[in-house]
Amino acid sequence: MQREKSWDLFVRVFHWSVVLGFALNLAVLDDEGAWHERVGYAVLALALLRILWGFAGPAQARFSAFPPSLSAALAHLGDMARGIVRPHRSHNPLGALMVYNLLACMLALGATGWMMTTDMFWGVDWVEELHEFLANWAIFSVVLHVGGVIAESLIEKRNLVRPMVTGYKDATEKTKD
Amino acid sequence: MPQSSPPPSREGSSRALALLIGVQAVCAVFFLGDVVADLVDGGGMAALRLHLVIEAIASIALIVGIAVELRFLLEMLRREQVAARSLAVASGALADVMQGLFRAWGLTAAERDVAAFTMKGLSIAEIAGLRGAAEGTVKSQLAAIYRKAGVSGRSQLVSLLIEDLMDAPLLAREGAQPGNGLETSGASATMRAGNH
Repeated sequence: MQREKSWDLFVRVFHWSVVLGFALNLAVLDDEGAWHERVGYAVLALALLRILWGFAGPAQARFSAFPPSLSAALAHLGDMARGIVRPHRSHNPLGALMVYNLLACMLALGATGWMMTTDMFWGVDWVEELHEFLANWAIFSVVLHVGGVIAESLIEKRNLVRPMVTGYKDATEKTKD
Repeated sequence: MPQSSPPPSREGSSRALALLIGVQAVCAVFFLGDVVADLVDGGGMAALRLHLVIEAIASIALIVGIAVELRFLLEMLRREQVAARSLAVASGALADVMQGLFRAWGLTAAERDVAAFTMKGLSIAEIAGLRGAAEGTVKSQLAAIYRKAGVSGRSQLVSLLIEDLMDAPLLAREGAQPGNGLETSGASATMRAGNH
């Protein structure tokens, strides 16, 4: 089977580092500990790097390859409902919305988390509430993201996780630009 | 073939529904997070428990509502796409009927162009401009077209097309008539819908 290059090394390292960081901060580390903060800042830095990469990285990783569009996402959802498969050169339109959602979520989590350490917002209720809500929203988004990847993999009959690990996808179909 | 988009009102309503689902998802996550936090913090107190039960029921109702809306949205999207495809099939059929007529009349390539423009309602001057030809040339081509079609003028020419369309299976029933040459236009509609 022919192999086609897919996600670049940075995108892959970014993706799995964020997965690790989220998991650590949600389930392992103490919410008020120093390591929760450090991991949080690391994820924030990764998100900022990913945004830079979205402008300066290789074609597939650029934001221009997956512009946010609700109507395109709805069209994609319609395709999924009818079992139609169309190749995309980057994230599919629905996945693209998820990428922006998760990136925004990471930025907001980092920002509210940092705010809690400042004198001005320390102990302020709404900041803490917002941080917790964002964490819940992140959990919900991740569940949706994983569900979407599984659903899409089943519909398209190809493993969508593998390219995020190996960086290659099976080039059985031509990618349309 | 002219590109036709589905009626804007329908697309607008599916967008609105998608946004509504998004907003409700935010709410559901908020309320559910609250229920879970309360459960963890102090589910033991009797007063809180009643409050929790009510909150949980409300959250579940919201989630069920979202699920129903999601189903509705998917159904709507499916119908939208079917409608878009029927429309493409219809315009494909129109082009087929037109080309069929032109062939039957034995029009030359230039005359076919002029005939198509005429049927679309362009004036002689406009056609001449588009084709980069003198108006006199277009006029004589039009005369040839009317003669070959056996009509006296533009309105009769268009009538012939409409007459043909009326017995042609313009809107084939969904999946009913395979092999009538309309599949290709259906496929091109599928391709087109993918561009974004």
